[in-house]
Amino acid sequence: MEERQLAAIDRLLEAVEKPARYIGGEINTAIKPRVKETAAFAFCFPDSYEVAMSHLGMKLLYYIINREPDMLCERVIMPWVDMADGLRREGVPLFSLETRTALRDFDIVGFTLQYEMSFTNILEMLDLGGVPPLSSRRAEEDPIVLVGGPCAFNPEPIAPFIDCFLLGDGETAVVEMTRLIKSMRLAGRPRREILEALCGIEGCYVPSLYEAQYREDGRLSAFRPLSAAAPATVRKRLEPDLDALPYPDEIPVPYTEIVHDRVALEVMRGCTRGCRFCQAGILYRPVRERSPENLLRLAEKLIAATGYEEMSLSSLSTGDYGHLVELVSGLMERFVKSRVSLSLPSMRVDSDVKEALSQVSEVRKSGLTLAPEAATQRLRDVINKGITEQDISRSVSDAFENGWSSVKLYFMNSLPTETDVDLQAFGDICRLIIDRFRQTPREKRGKGLSISLSSSTFVPKPFTPFQWDAQDDMDTIRRKHALLRETLRIKGVSFSWNDAELSRMEACVSRGDRRLAQVILRAWQLGCRMDGWREHFRYDLWMQAFEECGLDPDFYASRERDRDELMPWDFIDCGVTKAYLWRERERALRGETTPDCRGGCEGCGLKRFPGACALA
Amino acid sequence: MKMFVVYSVTGRLRYIGHLDLMRAMQRALRRSGLPVRYSQGYNPHILLSLAAPLPVGMEGLREVMEVPFEGSVSESEFVARLNAALPPLIRCLGARAVDDSHPAPMALLGAAVYRVEPQESAGQLFEALPAMLSRDSLPALKKSKRGMVEVDLRPLIYNAFVRDGSLKALLALAEAGTCKPELFMKALSEQAGLEAPAPFRCVREALYTASFAPLEEA
Ligand code: SF4
Repeated sequence: MEERQLAAIDRLLEAVEKPARYIGGEINTAIKPRVKETAAFAFCFPDSYEVAMSHLGMKLLYYIINREPDMLCERVIMPWVDMADGLRREGVPLFSLETRTALRDFDIVGFTLQYEMSFTNILEMLDLGGVPPLSSRRAEEDPIVLVGGPCAFNPEPIAPFIDCFLLGDGETAVVEMTRLIKSMRLAGRPRREILEALCGIEGCYVPSLYEAQYREDGRLSAFRPLSAAAPATVRKRLEPDLDALPYPDEIPVPYTEIVHDRVALEVMRGCTRGCRFCQAGILYRPVRERSPENLLRLAEKLIAATGYEEMSLSSLSTGDYGHLVELVSGLMERFVKSRVSLSLPSMRVDSDVKEALSQVSEVRKSGLTLAPEAATQRLRDVINKGITEQDISRSVSDAFENGWSSVKLYFMNSLPTETDVDLQAFGDICRLIIDRFRQTPREKRGKGLSISLSSSTFVPKPFTPFQWDAQDDMDTIRRKHALLRETLRIKGVSFSWNDAELSRMEACVSRGDRRLAQVILRAWQLGCRMDGWREHFRYDLWMQAFEECGLDPDFYASRERDRDELMPWDFIDCGVTKAYLWRERERALRGETTPDCRGGCEGCGLKRFPGACALA
Repeated sequence: MKMFVVYSVTGRLRYIGHLDLMRAMQRALRRSGLPVRYSQGYNPHILLSLAAPLPVGMEGLREVMEVPFEGSVSESEFVARLNAALPPLIRCLGARAVDDSHPAPMALLGAAVYRVEPQESAGQLFEALPAMLSRDSLPALKKSKRGMVEVDLRPLIYNAFVRDGSLKALLALAEAGTCKPELFMKALSEQAGLEAPAPFRCVREALYTASFAPLEEA
């Protein structure tokens, strides 16, 4: 970067709201020397510093790339709007935190996508960083733009912006991709050839090598590769053995406060409970556990290298981890002296586990969190959420007896088959909890029960049994919110809900096709960015973008699909078959549950991946 | 025992806030494995206390904090192990073991020396300095909990002079009264007849007691 621009950065840091977001220099960050042969990877996170630095996947890949002798990885994070505007005004390109290198000066620009509504931030970051947002406009010397993370599983709405997607686990794939790209760039191979070569790496999808065709009514009619190098079906990348993968033994420690400011230990990947609304539960199958020995070793190293005072166990359902007792007691033993507290999500566990965990609550007291998702047993059966009223009753009674007095409840509204009866039942659950509190002896329970209940509007997601379903239209969502407000006028209960308009946009984007990219591009041009932040979400501009592009949001959000409709993501094999998802949908509509497949294989399709499913 | 620790915060790290710096120190002390003392309770933390918050954007060259410890550790070992754990832009410059009954640095603090570099109109400002210092009183508006209040800055400015193209100012920094560099520069800008306060860069060079002894030696 030029002297003038570096001076401008300093001026901006004097003026912006939280300058510590942009300074880098955190402990355990890497500044590696850059030579021509080094593959320079910009790891990009399309949300604020506080969110980015809370994300485990970013720290994982940052570590993995930097440990390769021929690679370097630096972080580039979406600047807050004040900084973004400042950079534009001063003519300073978006830069890496480590060395203040412009985004365009990296070989590879790799985004991780955790949330659909961060798509406009990708465009904003590319543009600020001097990389053309449309891949078709990129010149030979421009970086190759990669994307991974759960949202990559419906790549189509951002297909024109991305050179190559990685579907599935990133640990070994990212190194293979980086090495391949760098060696071909050094050899002066053209972009198109590099992209074709990437198709040979399992999990890679190069959108420019495919074409989509549509019927007159807007539904997809055909989707096919345009090049012999591109496979018709892209299989997700799957790492069967987590213990064989590298895991960071040191992670950056931010100065400024972030959302999850602690060591997160990923104990396992995947979940077999089979909640039917949950996309992660399908995408991360099968369940793979890390060994307790490995985890204890990592935990010790991470605490020593970071000085963190808190550690959490992370996974989709930590209570299901097979060696939980061994792990927790091992951690407690090690950390009592160094005063590290262990935080665990609220979870359902057996009594011997509870015994071991009781020590944990001594270290850290917090409120109880429950996610029944739906308030009637009927609807919980539809979504296959295996939680009963007795479970709720028992959990809260236990918590109250231990002196807790705050309960957080997570629900969803607008689930398939939902009626007003299901919504009115939110109140019944609250009353049940209040009852349990009153029945707890005064000397045991805490003072003043508080229940905070939040309800998010259901967003149907690809690769779930509800991928065919319509989201409620806006009027219905609004009516339901009003009904819930009415129902939940109960003393001691506070109710919050998600913005209906944001939920509708999420529904559009998460099941969007390639045409939707025009809308995203237009919305960004109109000024949309940081859409996930209430104060920056501009529904009116999104609507204008739809209008100008001649597309109908209802087509994406509130339309029920036929069984045989070709979905924009059907070319991806995520391990679980479409036939299984449909069977699950039919069961859902009949109110039939599907048991956890640890008790017996349910035939989801993962067996087709050799050696993948230890349970099958 | 407790350690009086002298440290610097420089470069880009001038942009971290007071609480950020506290956290960074806590974590560095944890990483160092030094025998520091913790608080009781559910979330035990190291009982360190910094003499004065360093404003965001300001470097500090000789800041002071106290860190209670148990067992035996020599001053030089303390410095070496803490430095090994600190990020490069925070440096530990010295440590001195004192009794637990020794007053805290915050209680001993009386003044600070700042190096102030005006970014505009430096000549005019430098010329106006003697006139400002010769005045008996310098009324200024200062933010307080009860809104804006008028204070007299003059007794809070102990000394100020120009050296090597920048201003050095010894200003009060204490419970009883504080003159922030912004107020000092605002008054000086007014004295120089500038329409708006001149923008400036500022470094806190050292902390002193009320009797102008270096704080770390008090
Ligand atoms: S293959 Fe069978 S055991 Fe494995 S995840 Fe699928 S349903 Fe469960």
